[in-house]
Amino acid sequence: MDTFLHAIQSLNYTVAAVVLPLLAALVNFCLPVKSKAAGWISTIAILLSCVLSARVFATIWNNPQVHAQRIWFTIGQTQVYAGILLNNLSVLMLLLVSVIALPVHIYSTAYMKHDERYSRYFTYLSFFCFSMLALVVVDSLILFYAFWELVGFSSYLLIGFWFTKDKAVKANKKAFIMNRVGDIGLLSAIIILFAQFHTFDIDTIFGQNGLAHLMGIQDGKWTLIPNHLPDSVGSVWGRGTITALPALWQYVACAGIFLAVAAKSAQFPLHTWLPDAMEGPTSVSALIHAATMVAAGVFLLGRVYPMFIETELTILACIGCFTAFMAATIALTQNDLKRILAYSTISQLGFMILAMGVGAYASSLFHLATHAFFKCLLFLVAGIVIHQMQHIKDDNNLDIDPQDISHMGGLRKKLPLTFITAVIAALALIGLPLTSGYLSKDGILIQAFEWSDGRNAWFKIIPVMALITSWLTAFYVARLIFKVFFGEFRLLKDNPDIKPHLGDGGWPYTLPLILLAVCCLFPLFSFNPLAYEHAWLFEGLKTSARHAGEGVYHSLIPISVNVISLLLLFAAYRIYTRESRLPFPQKGFFYRLSYNQWYIDNLYKRAIVNPVLRLGSVCFWIDRNIIDGFLHLLTRISGSIAKLAAWTDEYIVDGFLHLLAAIVQSIGNFARKFQSGKVQYYLFSMLVIVLLLFILKILI
Amino acid sequence: MNILTLLLLVPVLFGFIIMLLPSSLRGSFKYLTLTATLIQLGISIWMYLHFKTGAAYGGINHEDQFQFVQKLPWISLNLGRMGKMQIDYFVGIDGMSISLLVMTSLVLVIATLSSWEIKSNLKGFFLLFLLLDMAVIGVFCALDFFLFYLFYELMLLPLYFLIGMWGGARREYAAIKFFLYTLFGSVFMLLVMVGLYLSVTDPATGNHTFNIIQMMNPANYSGQSIFSIAGHQTILGMPARTLGFVVLFIAFAIKVPVVPLHTWLPDAHVEAPTPVSIILAGILLKIGGYGIIRICLGIFPEIATSGAFWLGLLGVISILYGAFNALAQKDLKRMIAYSSISHMGFVLLGIASQTAEGISGAVMQMVSHGFLSTMLFFLVGVLYNRVHDRGINHFRGLGTLMPQYTAFVMIAFFASLGLPGFSAFVAEAFSLTGAFKSPTVNGLLPYWMAICGSVGILLSAAYFLWTLQRMFFGAESLKGGNVWKIALTDLNLREKLTLAPLALIALALGIMPSLVFDKINDSVLALVQFLQLK
Repeated sequence: MDTFLHAIQSLNYTVAAVVLPLLAALVNFCLPVKSKAAGWISTIAILLSCVLSARVFATIWNNPQVHAQRIWFTIGQTQVYAGILLNNLSVLMLLLVSVIALPVHIYSTAYMKHDERYSRYFTYLSFFCFSMLALVVVDSLILFYAFWELVGFSSYLLIGFWFTKDKAVKANKKAFIMNRVGDIGLLSAIIILFAQFHTFDIDTIFGQNGLAHLMGIQDGKWTLIPNHLPDSVGSVWGRGTITALPALWQYVACAGIFLAVAAKSAQFPLHTWLPDAMEGPTSVSALIHAATMVAAGVFLLGRVYPMFIETELTILACIGCFTAFMAATIALTQNDLKRILAYSTISQLGFMILAMGVGAYASSLFHLATHAFFKCLLFLVAGIVIHQMQHIKDDNNLDIDPQDISHMGGLRKKLPLTFITAVIAALALIGLPLTSGYLSKDGILIQAFEWSDGRNAWFKIIPVMALITSWLTAFYVARLIFKVFFGEFRLLKDNPDIKPHLGDGGWPYTLPLILLAVCCLFPLFSFNPLAYEHAWLFEGLKTSARHAGEGVYHSLIPISVNVISLLLLFAAYRIYTRESRLPFPQKGFFYRLSYNQWYIDNLYKRAIVNPVLRLGSVCFWIDRNIIDGFLHLLTRISGSIAKLAAWTDEYIVDGFLHLLAAIVQSIGNFARKFQSGKVQYYLFSMLVIVLLLFILKILI
Repeated sequence: MNILTLLLLVPVLFGFIIMLLPSSLRGSFKYLTLTATLIQLGISIWMYLHFKTGAAYGGINHEDQFQFVQKLPWISLNLGRMGKMQIDYFVGIDGMSISLLVMTSLVLVIATLSSWEIKSNLKGFFLLFLLLDMAVIGVFCALDFFLFYLFYELMLLPLYFLIGMWGGARREYAAIKFFLYTLFGSVFMLLVMVGLYLSVTDPATGNHTFNIIQMMNPANYSGQSIFSIAGHQTILGMPARTLGFVVLFIAFAIKVPVVPLHTWLPDAHVEAPTPVSIILAGILLKIGGYGIIRICLGIFPEIATSGAFWLGLLGVISILYGAFNALAQKDLKRMIAYSSISHMGFVLLGIASQTAEGISGAVMQMVSHGFLSTMLFFLVGVLYNRVHDRGINHFRGLGTLMPQYTAFVMIAFFASLGLPGFSAFVAEAFSLTGAFKSPTVNGLLPYWMAICGSVGILLSAAYFLWTLQRMFFGAESLKGGNVWKIALTDLNLREKLTLAPLALIALALGIMPSLVFDKINDSVLALVQFLQLK
């Protein structure tokens, strides 16, 4: 009875946690655009969501899952349900999203203070929180798809928040369309799953005793592995009335899900929208494009994990590994502060996908959680730095890009708190001990090596590349930190007469930084700073019990990662703070490849966007010239036929009549001559006729 | 009095009033028309609320399961040895009609509200408008083929004049193109109708009949008649029933419109005044879809099944071809016209699947597209009224200039591109689900059709968002300069009151699809069962 009450209470709390941000969005939508109340309404809503999520988390975590649903609509004989599914995965995400969103809301109240459309910003932000929170708790694939798209929609609104900026509106269009590619993948997958399982219910398909566990590929069919069906499975499959789909459609469904993951979590080949999405406000980038929404792809993988077969997981690992590596190499040479962080996000998401691929399910989600904190923190730091640069730019009418790190330097003295928190986040991103990143990232590397052990030697490439990527990470993070916070302020050096007034800002800036920085350290996740297996988060999600600290990798990997990372940090320090000569050529092939982001955008423009537009024009040409041309031809033919008919009418039909008339007339005219009324003529004609008769008679 | 008859008589009555009023009172015509359409809306909402559901109200091929039925003998001629010619005034609705009927009534109200822009020859305009109103309502109610055909043809006349007299620069070209296209379809329909009449006898009276429901029962066909199933008659070497189906299908496919019979639509839309565009897109296209379901599938089920592949293929082609065309447009209204072609492709695909999901999705798509295309064309009309230009490249940054207008455009665009939460999403998702389920359930369509159809969803995002980016976002820049800037005022109260209900309905149907599905489900199931039994 007690558990039942707890379950009901958790469900109510969950619904409240999800709906509160929606209410805030609706209220803000009705407020005038400049109203300052909007910020507080949204912040209070998310604070309450956060508290409620924590309660739900405390009740559900490591306890049996809670699942409640009610009928949504009936279509044909299919009843579509809507409901809430709370298990370890969903309550973790629920808590994570609301906890990350809270500091971002507080920060935003200050960051967006002078914006013309302040309340719109919070409307969109709250709407995003609603969609994201709903996404992680819903139990039906249809609802999942709905919220999956709604988070994309709110991201669209927020990327293009400053809609008069050309780059911003191009970026949000690109983001939405690329995400749509993923969406149709997901939609196709859902349709295939529905055709196969006859339900949209996530728990029935992917749950503990779900149908996906019982299915396999056999004789070219995606079907039930015989003798496996427990009595509890009350689906149409038990009755054996439905034919199974061909095996191909299992692959297509997985490919569709992969597309969805790649689009939302910015994996190769659908990653190019994320760097452009940095055109939105930085606080938005922190919440949506670093911590939560982009992690939704990994969450989706976590939800549907049982349906992947071995080969598909390997492909997933390859893609994740490649993306991580590629993004890290691009991050090495970028100069835009936010772009570096964006590529770093892509790289870290690649790690998570790689982890899913190698079967490190728990580590993947663990990394998702730790990454959310330190990457969000890094973006908030970036926001402060960019704001300060923007102020200098506005005050002195300089023509600089406030996001360009080559103007920065030495900011650690001006922004001490920002600097300290940035260093903590950076260390976590590199994965040095005592940080949360160490726990989660090393876990992935170790398991990747263990995974490759039992396989062909070629598979070693994957963990080795991941290892190299983590060294690259150390380098680009160090480059970023040293260029921004160390050395001397390069802008000041170029323009000696400006007097910058810089500072960390008020509590709405500093409080979120401190909160998030604390969350980047190990104690939040594990009391043992060195072994990831002891992290509560890992233990709550792991699928199989494995003993801690086994195997050679458990000491070798952390040591090699950290020693070489430290060396690289030192090297970066030498290079970027001493302003000694750059050790790398600035125009080699690899530099250009990296600087131009592997030319992928250019390739897409030429190979996909332009041909599609041209195809559109071709279709329109066909419409105008072939279909309508055919019609016009028909018109002209019938016109000509009509003319011909008119001509026939006039000259042949009427002509014949006229001819007849003319003949009759001429005969009449001829005969009329005999009727002149003179006696002599009558006698004469009589004589002629008589003569003629005589002549005829003689002749015949 | 029967409520459907009342629904039909309201526009006639108001038409007479307008006809009798002197032209000096022409200011009142629009209010009279608005009253008529509002009364109709009230009646149809009343019918919607009192519409009974349950397996006993499936309709389709059971005459006794139709609701609000009225059947009166209308033309009864004694032809001596040839029997009696029997034409009934026979109206009634089932689940297929009710949702479309409510949608139609609402769209007519919106169309009236957008007629405020009409300034010339008001008497003629509103008379023709009300005649059209009666005809479209009649099509959805008629259960006698002769009556159906009468209403169907009656739509043509007012539309021809409405486009040809109140239209844009190339209105005469557009009007005659529209007229000939549709006439081409319906002339042959007349022949099939007569053929069906001669083949079917009413079992009760023994006379030939135009009753559509009796045409659905194979037992009513006399042995050697032309369309008899057992008779296997041929016309010009083609099986007669196949030919009959094809002819009827072409007639309705022109209305839908299905590629390649669609080129009248962009021209008609671009030239038509806003209210006529709204009726064209909102209602007329649905008559095509409704006709395919009620007549083609109902009377020739076995041909519909054997030809399902081709119907599905045409659906997929329409989806993709329409979408690619929309991508290439430079005129906003033409872009929306092509997007209609693409969206109506989902209807055909859903119908072709012959699954409950697919047909429900198709009906939902018709209802949803009715509201959304109305909204889209109304929005175009708002812009055109202010500056008499619709070129996508002639506007930039309208978002700063007309924020409320832009908000409604965004709602309409996102709803049309299938954003979840709006009706089009549910409709398209289930049309595709039905299409994908079809191979395992009845083996009619191949799997790939659903997957290809889903590409249309991607393309719709591309053309709508691209338009949004080009016209509404970015720094403000107008082709007409300051003159336009002054002319481009934000929405007024009438426009907001028109748009808000449409947006809310699209939202309501997206969140509670049961508003439609509950009413149509029994008919859909009855139809699927009917198609399986044949």
